[in-house]
Amino acid sequence: MTISISQSLIQSSLPISQGAEAKVYKAQLTPDSPPILLKYRFQKNYRHPFLDANLTRSRIAGEARALLKCLRSGINVPGIRMVDATEGVLGIEWIEGHSVRKLLPGGAEDDGSDDVDNVDVIDSVNLNEYGVSVDELMKLIGVEIAKMHQVDVIHGDLTTSNMILRQPGSFVPPQNHDIKTALVLIDFGLSYQSTLAEDKAVDLYVLERAFSSTHPDSEPMFAKVLAGYAEIMAGDWPAIKHRLDDVRLRGRKRSMVG
Amino acid sequence: MPGKARKTPLKDADRDYLALGLEGSANKLGAGIMKHSKDGAATVLSNIRHTYITPPGEGFQPRDTALHHREWALKVINDCLTKAGVSMNEIDCICFTKGPGMGAPLQSVALVARTLSLMFNKPLVGVNHCVGHIEMGREITGAQNPVVLYVSGGNTQVIAYSRQCYRIFGETLDIAVGNCLDRFARIINLSNDPSPGYNIEQEAKKGHRLLPLPYATKGMDVSLSGILSAIEAYTVDKRFRPEGGTKDEDIITPQDLCFSLQETVFAMLVEITERAMAHIGSKEVLIVGGVGSNERLQQMMGIMAQEREARVFATDERFCIDNGIMIAQAGLLSYRMGYKTPLAKSSCTQRFRTDEVHVAWRA
Repeated sequence: MTISISQSLIQSSLPISQGAEAKVYKAQLTPDSPPILLKYRFQKNYRHPFLDANLTRSRIAGEARALLKCLRSGINVPGIRMVDATEGVLGIEWIEGHSVRKLLPGGAEDDGSDDVDNVDVIDSVNLNEYGVSVDELMKLIGVEIAKMHQVDVIHGDLTTSNMILRQPGSFVPPQNHDIKTALVLIDFGLSYQSTLAEDKAVDLYVLERAFSSTHPDSEPMFAKVLAGYAEIMAGDWPAIKHRLDDVRLRGRKRSMVG
Repeated sequence: MPGKARKTPLKDADRDYLALGLEGSANKLGAGIMKHSKDGAATVLSNIRHTYITPPGEGFQPRDTALHHREWALKVINDCLTKAGVSMNEIDCICFTKGPGMGAPLQSVALVARTLSLMFNKPLVGVNHCVGHIEMGREITGAQNPVVLYVSGGNTQVIAYSRQCYRIFGETLDIAVGNCLDRFARIINLSNDPSPGYNIEQEAKKGHRLLPLPYATKGMDVSLSGILSAIEAYTVDKRFRPEGGTKDEDIITPQDLCFSLQETVFAMLVEITERAMAHIGSKEVLIVGGVGSNERLQQMMGIMAQEREARVFATDERFCIDNGIMIAQAGLLSYRMGYKTPLAKSSCTQRFRTDEVHVAWRA
């Protein structure tokens, strides 16, 4: 049996981690090209094979489509290097840096058993290396999400694990900017397109919940995210804010006082 | 956090403790007696349940369900005491479901609890139904700090413990998974005995055609109401044959629909559970709630867990489906931490979120 090009590429790559959906590898397309990140949506055996194949195909294609749209619109996302929807493989730009989750208090508290091979965990990571404060970071998050929402891309799984701060060394700042880093949004596996305020509000709500379940005292931090978001969204913000308030009430069995 | 055992604030029992648990938040009336011994063991002395079963095509209405609970309360509690071989005087506390659930049935059971409390001069402990499920699941399976998938007729939540609170990572944005299954059982006129979900599970084993349905996971949340509409639409499709047919024909049978519904919604539930596990780095998963007794769901969860080298914990129908003993277990834990519900505050509430409870007994 011959194996596909994607499979042989995976076999020659270095496994980095296994997330919920996919295995991630560091690979090289040619021996002297820069490294790329391979995201392999492996088969989920708990799912009916038919359902699984359909989901994998549509998610890889959807992810590539969303990334392309973001790239065209100047949003900080990884560049695309290869796509193989049938095999479930997506190759994207390799980004040096740390996830926001690891940079914020509370986020790195886990036992790290998922990341035993990842040297980052052992390093004590702190924001100072990136030359940004927590408040600035929150604003960067808000701004990047707003830019994405402005082109009607809904991320679908915004968490602090799905945002990376670029290592200052690997980043060329645009002219007239003194900022040393950039916030990159990753993992568009659940993204879709929508113009509705509802979908944008739900996107923000998912992030709010991720904040509150991972980081202690997240409320003021998330308020800063929203402030950065509101600034970019400008005229569209009031409608989304209104929706967000609605969505917050929507979780089941919330106490309905007043 | 797994791996880092912290000292539990719960002191060893200085003597044996006995708790009576009363549950009636939906169509099951349950009573159970839990014993916490000096040596740290928790023993189920009795666990009696009576279920209000409605005819096929009908759900249970609050008023009729409350009536059922009132009619059966004394019989169930008496059986429970006899089976355990203890008298009301030996009990340390009376635990009852404070919520969430259906108003009228909750109130009927709380009234019984209050009456017993006054008659025998025993303290009351109000218990959150969801926390009851989690604590019983932990006790029975020995899972230490699992991600919990709580799936029942009224609730669908992915929960993890953090800093004395059961935090909700994901949940349904509209109807609960059990509600989705129950309502579909009504549409195709399946029996409610022993439970609609059980009968769907049996029918699904005979189905083989996977029909396309919406697959609605949003981050760690799911949406199920659209799936119910979509599956209902298949029952008016011209290929639908309620009486079934041969495998080769291009037809849709009720068995195919049960199969497709289970495969789709359970895949969604396993997916959000896995995402929560990956997010917090947990290697244990516990399934609780009535739908948790579905063997196909347990099987799918098992495959997922195996693939990420995690362990899955599940219980059988005695502890999965609503019962009195889980209320006794969670109630006794908080009673041993010094918590009592004064009579004036022994009201019930239909809305009572899992994350509102202060989990004093865990580190």
